[in-house]
Amino acid sequence: MLLFWVVAGVLAAVSAGLILFRAAGSVTSTGAVDPAQILYQRQLTEIDDLVERGLMGEAERKGAHAEAGRRLLTASEAPVLTWVADPRVRGLVLLAAVAVPALALGLYLHLGAPGTPDQGYATRLAAWQKSDLTTLSPPEIAAVLRQAVKDRPNEAEGYRLLGLAEDASQNPIAALQALRRAAQLAPQRADIWRMLGQAAFAASGGKVTGEARAAFERVLALEPGDPAARFFLAQGKADAGRTSEAASDLRALLADMPPGVEGRAEVQTRLAGLEGKPAPGTADPQQLAMIQGMVDGLAAKLKTDPDNPEGWVRLVRAYAVLGDTNRRDAAYATARARFSNAPPVLQQLDEAARAEPMR
Amino acid sequence: MIAEVGAFSLVLALALSVGQVVLSAAGRIRRSPALAGAGEGAALAAFLAVATAFAALMHGFVISDFSIANVAANSHSQKPLLYRVAGTWGSHEGSMLLWCLALTGFGAAAAGLGGSLPRGLRASTVAAQGVLGTVFLAYTVFASNPLMRLVQPPVEGRSLNPLLQDPALAVHPPFLYAGYVGMSVVFSLAIGALVEGRVDAVWSKWVRPWTLAAWSFLTIGITLGAFWAYYELGWGGWWFWDPVENASFMPWLVATALLHSAIVTEKRGALAGWTLFLSLAAFTFSMLGAFLVRSGVLTSVHAFAVDPTRGVLLLMILGVTSGIGFALFAWRAPKLGQGGLFAPISRESALVLNNILLAAATVTVLLGTLYPLIRDAMTGEAISVGPPYFNLTFTPLMAALLILLPAGPLMAWKRGDLRGVVQRLWVAALIAGGSGVLTIALVSPKKALGALGVALGFWLIAGALTEIVERTRAFRVPLAQTLRRLVGLPRGAWGMTLAHLGLGVFVLGAVFETTWKLEAAEALPIGGGLGIGAYEVRLDAVDPVKGANFDADRATLTVTRKGQPVCVARPEQRLFTAGGETTSEVGLCYQGPSHIYLVLGERRDDGAEPRWMVRAYWNPWATLIFLGPGIMALGGFVSLSDRRLRLGVGRRRESKA
Repeated sequence: MLLFWVVAGVLAAVSAGLILFRAAGSVTSTGAVDPAQILYQRQLTEIDDLVERGLMGEAERKGAHAEAGRRLLTASEAPVLTWVADPRVRGLVLLAAVAVPALALGLYLHLGAPGTPDQGYATRLAAWQKSDLTTLSPPEIAAVLRQAVKDRPNEAEGYRLLGLAEDASQNPIAALQALRRAAQLAPQRADIWRMLGQAAFAASGGKVTGEARAAFERVLALEPGDPAARFFLAQGKADAGRTSEAASDLRALLADMPPGVEGRAEVQTRLAGLEGKPAPGTADPQQLAMIQGMVDGLAAKLKTDPDNPEGWVRLVRAYAVLGDTNRRDAAYATARARFSNAPPVLQQLDEAARAEPMR
Repeated sequence: MIAEVGAFSLVLALALSVGQVVLSAAGRIRRSPALAGAGEGAALAAFLAVATAFAALMHGFVISDFSIANVAANSHSQKPLLYRVAGTWGSHEGSMLLWCLALTGFGAAAAGLGGSLPRGLRASTVAAQGVLGTVFLAYTVFASNPLMRLVQPPVEGRSLNPLLQDPALAVHPPFLYAGYVGMSVVFSLAIGALVEGRVDAVWSKWVRPWTLAAWSFLTIGITLGAFWAYYELGWGGWWFWDPVENASFMPWLVATALLHSAIVTEKRGALAGWTLFLSLAAFTFSMLGAFLVRSGVLTSVHAFAVDPTRGVLLLMILGVTSGIGFALFAWRAPKLGQGGLFAPISRESALVLNNILLAAATVTVLLGTLYPLIRDAMTGEAISVGPPYFNLTFTPLMAALLILLPAGPLMAWKRGDLRGVVQRLWVAALIAGGSGVLTIALVSPKKALGALGVALGFWLIAGALTEIVERTRAFRVPLAQTLRRLVGLPRGAWGMTLAHLGLGVFVLGAVFETTWKLEAAEALPIGGGLGIGAYEVRLDAVDPVKGANFDADRATLTVTRKGQPVCVARPEQRLFTAGGETTSEVGLCYQGPSHIYLVLGERRDDGAEPRWMVRAYWNPWATLIFLGPGIMALGGFVSLSDRRLRLGVGRRRESKA
């Protein structure tokens, strides 16, 4: 803080010094000689030069000479307005040399943030690395892990955790990249392939891409019968228009899943969607309350940390899907204003706002 | 702490600019050298202060200090160092700071180097430059402050548009701004001259180096932008008459006209009013450009899409500053004395014709740029004015200008000898005609307009060289004498020849490229090929590569001609991790001045095997499009180094007296 004021003081002093120094140096420069005369004199020699190079005839030379001579004469006869060294202005200059830094100080105290330290990325990263991971937010954990995998680039687990952290930080592309590397390092781990498949699904905006399909097929090869892999592979078939095949796969999956097991409801919903029946359980008040709670949590989080474009996109989409048009419009308007200078975010917001309501 | 030192320096610069105006104006009114000198001191200090603020912001970008809002919004910790540095001017706020840096830099140069100017003109000019500095610094400090801090900095920044992460574009804005803002000194000098009521040779002599410097920088800036568009956007073109391109082109056209009219004012005292008008217009067009890209009225990679409030503020700055300038012009210019007379056939007349054509060309570009915007604002109907309009309006005007160009420098002042000029140019005419005929005979398909364009390009080059031949009396006097004259030629003459020659080179490139370019596109499997002109392009492989902050698919394309290998190009499709945007890196094969231009498009998985969209262009003589303006800018700098532009003599005499 003290150092800042010292530096600011030096800057102000240098500025005042330059004003005073130039003022003192100019006192005697009264501008009594008009540079125009010198210039016209030089033009006269340039005319001779042109003649010598054969670019001007003798007759023209006479005319040009006469004209330049006339201009020289006019210039020398022009009244030279002399400037006078006036000792009374000393006070004025001194006043300016003080007033300028004072004005700057006033403006700075109004606009600046005195005492706010620099917060370079390396410094902050070092602090996160030293602190307890549980106290950090997902993006901070991701930053720490990014550094960790740089130091130990051949450990699959590091990349898997990074993938998790990036996913939690709403950074699907980075999550996908981390998991690709993890799968490369540990091709025998079905859990990593499953995460990779899901990350590819999320990063593509909900499509079972070629990469996702390959990953889920690897999962099935390693752990035959894996429900998540079967679910997404069926989803891929449905996307490709092979609806009846997808539906029969899902029915088979459902038959293998004991009642009450996690994910069963989701399979049922999807199957019902494929069969054109109303989805069972969507009206489950308990589930709705849970979803509502998650959305409220997201809204609260965005209130404290609004600089999260992906969060806003998710919030707008969630309201749209829940059919809560008022809140959807409010969130949409707030987010649009906040990210008005980021066209890609605006586009995502538009798409999110157009999402179909669930019921 | 460094960021806050920058924030303090920025407001200090604003206070100093206010001081510069008050002190210089008071100095002029009271005819007090001490006060005027103090104003100059403030101008120098203002530049130092802005430079400090700029360095502080750059430091923030380099260390990725996301507690600075501007860094958080426009940078990312994983970005390569060059683009973190370039990020300093990659956003609206940062580029306004760059604008202010150039503005105060030119102001300081004018204050520091103005020793040979008459005292009154110098003080008025420094005061006018101070007004511009005050207005733009106030806008930056209050409406676009790049050094604002965040209480809770985000973990990561939002990164810079990946299209802008390119070496040519990293240096494009500094050049462009040096050009745009260089015109501010000329503007201030015009205000100074109007206040003093005197436009003479000294004034024109002073206008010229500033215009030359600004013009040269602007030429480089525009060329770098065109080159970037050429190889980064991947659509094979280099100029699209986009409003943003036009925004930089209009000040260039006006500055070109000004460079020529200032010569007439300097040598003959004529056209004083017109030269003043152009001096005011050049910076007005620069400000118009700044408004267009920052007001959100345009959508483009250049458009910062700033909120309308800040756009309106810029429009007000534009209206008030240029309004005052032109009002002063309307009031004072009629009182300026008449200059020397000249005959209809003379160097002066040739330069007047040059100015009329350039001014008309500027107006056509202005109309083509503003009409769609005005129409959109009035009726809400979006229309686009594109190449067809400009080809019909701008191109004929320019063609007329270029046909007349070689004759100008050969004319004598006051009264020229048309027959003599024609006699001197017959060799150039022969070369031009011959090249046109050869083009028709050799290049297929045969295109008459293209052949005419090629003839025009050679006409300019041969015409420019004729000027040197004439000046050195080559082939008429002994070789030794010619060489002596060649060495003795003033730098200004070399500068002019280079600029005119560069224009010819550009015309050749532009005509050849636009007339005879070829295009082919196909979805290729690995091992597949497509033909482009005499060449065959084969897709050998597509491999993933990892960049500092992106993942890319890199294609290996082998180009062959009649079975013989020509070159291997590696275009890329890049996916940037931070924002998820994709960009394409063009692969270029240089064949003499021509390019084989290869773009890798998206992957298609719809068939049995994956295929990639590959687009290939044959761009004949495309290098000349960028080489020509490079030669022109070089000519500008060579001319700038001419010692005749310096008025150092005056200072020596003054100190003796």
